[in-house]
Parts: sequence; structure tokens; C-alpha cells
Amino acid sequence: MKTKKGMNVTPYFYLIPSMLVFAVFLFYPFFKTIYLSLYKTNKLGEAKIFVGLGNYTELLTSASFRNSLKVTMIFVVIVVIGGMLLGLLTAVLCNKAFPGIRVFSTAYALPMAIASSSAAMIFQIMLHPAVGIVNKLLGLDINWLNDPNTALYCVAILTAWLNSGINFLYFSAGLGNIDESLYERASVDGANGIQKFFSLTLPGLSPIMFYTLVVNIIQAFQSFGQIKILTEGGPSESTNVIVYSIYRDAFFNYRFGSASAQSVILFVIIMLITLVMFRIEKKGVSY
Amino acid sequence: MKKRIVAALMAATMTIGLLSGCGGKTTAEATSGAAGSTSDAVASDAAMADASEVDGTEITFWHSMGGVNGAAIDTLVKKFNDENELGITVNSQYQGEYDDSLNKLKSAQIGNMGADLVQVYEIGTSFMKDSGWIVPMQTMIDADSYDVSQIEPNLSAYYTVDNQLYSMPFNSSTPIMYYNKDMFAAAGITDVPDSLEAIGEVGDKLQSAGAGEAISLGIYGWFFEQLISEQGLDYANNGNGRDEAATAVEFDSNGAAKNILTEWKALYDAGYAPNVGRGGDSGLADFSAGKSAITLGSTASLKQILQDVNGKFEVGTAYFPKVKSSDQGGVSIGGASLWALDNQDPKKLRATWEFVKFLISPESQAYWNAQTGYFPVTVAAQDEAVFKDNIAQYPQFQTAIDQLHDSKPEYAGALLSVFPEARATAETEIETMLNGTEDVDTAVKNMAESINKSIEEYNLVNE
Repeated sequence: MKTKKGMNVTPYFYLIPSMLVFAVFLFYPFFKTIYLSLYKTNKLGEAKIFVGLGNYTELLTSASFRNSLKVTMIFVVIVVIGGMLLGLLTAVLCNKAFPGIRVFSTAYALPMAIASSSAAMIFQIMLHPAVGIVNKLLGLDINWLNDPNTALYCVAILTAWLNSGINFLYFSAGLGNIDESLYERASVDGANGIQKFFSLTLPGLSPIMFYTLVVNIIQAFQSFGQIKILTEGGPSESTNVIVYSIYRDAFFNYRFGSASAQSVILFVIIMLITLVMFRIEKKGVSY
Repeated sequence: MKKRIVAALMAATMTIGLLSGCGGKTTAEATSGAAGSTSDAVASDAAMADASEVDGTEITFWHSMGGVNGAAIDTLVKKFNDENELGITVNSQYQGEYDDSLNKLKSAQIGNMGADLVQVYEIGTSFMKDSGWIVPMQTMIDADSYDVSQIEPNLSAYYTVDNQLYSMPFNSSTPIMYYNKDMFAAAGITDVPDSLEAIGEVGDKLQSAGAGEAISLGIYGWFFEQLISEQGLDYANNGNGRDEAATAVEFDSNGAAKNILTEWKALYDAGYAPNVGRGGDSGLADFSAGKSAITLGSTASLKQILQDVNGKFEVGTAYFPKVKSSDQGGVSIGGASLWALDNQDPKKLRATWEFVKFLISPESQAYWNAQTGYFPVTVAAQDEAVFKDNIAQYPQFQTAIDQLHDSKPEYAGALLSVFPEARATAETEIETMLNGTEDVDTAVKNMAESINKSIEEYNLVNE
């Protein structure tokens, strides 16, 4: 099928099915969210009163939302760095063949198979101040999840651990792709382990590292289950990350307008971060 | 260049995916909401068929009872299906927690695909009443000349507005005080404290007698509301939101909140009531582990507590504390009630009513009470053998019954459209106050301002 100008339109037909799916599940909700963010909504989520950017200015001037932004940033930084370091460390450890490696590989990859909610429920018991094992082992009396100074770190570390499973898998695959002969040649040249790690392993991993970083950041922003179960955004909103705040506003307070506005802000943040990262990619990643 | 485009596309797709993940449900709510606005009229003229006509009718019952309570519901439903002579079949469905169930109802109600009978928590009362989806229980009670004097007056008071019983109380509970009798004996305390103030006075004795903390007091909005009722004061204006919709809270101007927070903070500062977390169950673990001497909890937690304590010490029960011992007030109830939905089907409505009558029959209620620890809704249930056996086995439950009877309908508590949010706000502010980042007055002020703003906005868009 060709038009007069000779442009081939046939391929575009193949796009229709996927575009339909996108349209229904992505584009329509996307634009509807933007639409709703400009309104005050009633208890059924219908747009009632047009407020323009009112929801946005209200959010950006509210101390609670600014706190959410701050908390989210801290949370994401801990989760991404923690999750990737843990994944990298375990992958490097399991890169050598030794007896029992399968047991270790399985153990390190396991968090990937644990639902965040069930992990959260287990941690809830472990971190309980009176009956939890963490305080028993450490001989401390810290109310981990109810102290605003520790709650965020507990949730973040749990999330980092959960994410480390899939990172372990990515990094293991990445390590397997590095040519073994490079290491042999480096050894012949007298490079030590640390030199090999920084000059061979890390550059060799950079493509997969970049991908993992992007995915991890997005995942971290979206963490929800563990926060809902462990802290419900508290104490004193110290773990009230944006996604949780959206949930509260939409499905608890029935303020879909404000929730949509928060979604849009979150979207803009993640899009900017992702675009910046793809900029950086060109400099730091060697394919 | 090509790679750059691919990269940009990838970024865009991933981020859009994220956004729509959050927005998707919103949209479903919104579109279904638009269709639903046509049925906004209050449907009190709903007709009910005669009992002889309902043969073969099937109704759907949505509930939020999981675990032991869910099993008890299933047993009751099965019994009704097996035994009713009218040919009614009830199809009961667990719809998740109260919040989830209410959200599902909103979406489902639009196409009449939802339930005929639904269990909604007490703080959803205002929402359901104004939704235009329901048939008030009073309509069926009047049509059937049902004797409502059978229903515990302090329970039905909560769900009665303008002398109309809107929904049928089903699983109702009040909070009570649980205490460790062994610790009290060791400390030589014979008078069980009846107020937060009095708990403060015996705090030292209890803690020197081995209690890690005098009271494990969970930060729970419900307790805060109860402590207002216990002072005999109102939570919100317009007669606690019962004369007409509340437009602002009153706990700030009538001093109720300040009294509570002052005592609470005093207990916290003295080390008697450390922060054990949010939610109604947060104080229970410390109590069952023998760390705290006192805890507050729902009557429905009694069995769980006895099971967890497992005879390590003797569990006593007492009335929910007042703020100061001189306060004159009573407890209000929590839990959930049953709402009949208007599906424009007289037969289904009749079948629903027959099922409700079965659920609140003395026999069912005695069973329900014994299985779950919720109050028997029907007074006559207390004459059933099942009930008597249960009280004999768990004498602590008598406290709950006495406390309920000692309260008055005027302490029934507030009706507020934004209650779920208001409760969370109260919890957050109490938390912040305990952590010392703000003082009592600021906490009360923030609480009132934030809730008032929500009420104002709600009234504006939902007129």
C-alpha cells in the first residue's frame, strides 16, 4: 500500500493494536489526570469547580507537600544507592565459582520474589519495639517505626533490600558479558583486584548499570506497599512520600483534583530526571 | 540521533506509565461518577414486595469481615440460605477493608451492578446517608411494622438522624480499658483508674512494680473522639453534625481537644505513655507481652488479647477512661452497619430486609457476639444460651455491656462527611505534639484548621 508520494503507510497499521492499548490504558488516563488536576472534584471524583492552577499553587505552598517532596528525595537516594550497591556487591561475590554458589545466588536474588507487602509485614514484627527481634539482638530500645528520626530509614532500607534482588540479576548478567580474557591480560600486566574492578568491571557493567539506575529510580519513586503497611506516611508525615500522599488524597480524602495535581508534579519530576540521565548516558556509558 | 530519539521515547513511555499508574483508578472513578449523578434523589419512596413474592430472589451482600469474623458471617449466611422458607438466596462477598469496599461501591453503584446490602463503617455514615443510593432501614421497619424497641438504643442512636434509622447496626463495639490485674496487685492498687488523670497518679506505682510503661496508648483517632464524648462535649458544630451537616469542628473552641492533649502529653512526658504507634491495635502487643499495665482497645479485641496473654497474667477490664475523673460523658460506638441499596427492585428489597431481620434476630446475634466480641444488637440476644455461656467464659465482656448501657444516646458521637481524613489529621497532630515539635495549643489549632478546611471544601463541591 503506497500513497502518491511513495510513502509506505503499511507499517503504521501494525502499530494500531499497540497504540489502542496505549490509548486506553496510558494516554486517556494521562490526559484525564491532567484535566482533573485543574478542577476541584466532588466525592465521586467528578470535576466540579474549575480552579485552573489552583491545585498546584495550593500544593506548592503547602508545608505538607513540600515535606513530601523532601521525604521522597531522601527516600529515593537511599533506595537507589543502597539497592544498587547491594546488588552489585552480591553479584560480584557470586561471580566466582565456589561450592554452594547456587545457595548464595538464590538467596541474593530472593528479594525479587517477595511481595513488598509481605516483606513489610515481616519487618513490622521484626522492628516492633517490645517483641521485635531487631531490638532483642541489638539490645536496644528503639521504637524504629514510630520515631520520626528512624522510620524513613527503616522503610528505605527495606525497599533497597527488596530492589537488590533484581539488581543482583541484572549485574550478574552484566558480569557474565565481560570478556574473561580481559582479566587474564590485566593479570599479566600486573593489575590488582581493585584496579581490575574499577578499570574493567565497572566500565564493562556501565550499560547495564545505566539501565538499572533508570529503572531503580522510577521504582523507588513508585514504592507504596511497604509504606502503607509499615508507617502509613507517619509518624508526623516523616515517611509521607508523594505516591502515598496521592493515594491518601484520592482514595481516603476523596480529593481527586489535588491527587491528580500531585501525580502531574511527580510525572514532571521523573521525566526531568530521566531526560537528564539520558544526557549523562552519552558521556559515562561505553557500549 | 536515532538512539537519542529511542532514548527519549523510552523515557517518555516509562514516565507516562508511572503517571497513569497513579491516575488510572482516578479516571475509572471519575467516568463512572459522571453516569451516577442522575440518581442523586433520595430514594425513600422505594416499594417493598410482600414476603410471599420473593421466592427465587437472589441478593448480594458485601461485607468487610475477614478472618474469624468472616467465617462467622459465612456461617450465618449459609444458615439463612438453608433455613429461610421464602426461597431467598444470599450471595455474600468479602470486599476487602472498609475503605476498599466503599471505593468499590462507588464504582459499582453506577450500573446497578453492585450489592443489595453493604456493610459500611461508622464514619462512612454521613457519606452513605447523602449518597442517594440507599433505602433507609426506617422505610422497611415502617412497612413491616417491625418492633425497633428490640434494638439496643445506644447502638441505633448512632445511625439515627432526624428520627430515621438509616442503617442497621450490625457489628458495633466500644473501646474499653484492659489492665493487668497481677501488676495492679503487685503495685497495691485497688481502685482502677477511671481517667487519664488518674492513670497519671498511679503511673509511678505501676512502673516501680515492674511495668515497663503504665499504659500503652495507641495514637488512634477513634480514642480521641471517645475522649471528647467522655467529656460530654461535641466534636463538631450543628449538634455534632446531626441537626444538619457540620460546617466546622467544635473541639477547639469548647476546649475538649486541649484537655485531652494536655493530659496525654503529661502522661507521655512522665514516661507513662510512650509512643507505641498509630492505630487501634498498636498498644495491644505491649500489653499482651506484659510490658504495659494498661491498654485501650476495642471490645472486639478481647478474645485476641486473652489468646495472646494466654494465662500469663489475669486480664481485667474497666470502662474507657475519661480525661479527668470529674468529667460527665459516655462512650460512643464504632464498627459498622448494614445499608440497603436502592436497586429499584421491590422483591430484592424485601429479600434484603428479610435477611437483615435474620441477622439481627436474637439467635444470630448471640452467635455473632460469641464468635466476634461485637455487641449483640438485639437486647433479647442476652437471654440466649449461647450468649450466657459466652459471658460465663469471658466475664470481662460484661464490662463492655455495662459501659454501653451506662452511656446515653446523646453521646452517640459526631457525623462528619470527612471523618476518615479528620481522624488521620488528629492522629498526625497528636504524633507531632508527642514528638515535641509543637505544643498542645498549636496541635489543636492545626487540627481544627486542617479539618475545617476539608469540611469547607467538601461542602463546597458536594453541596
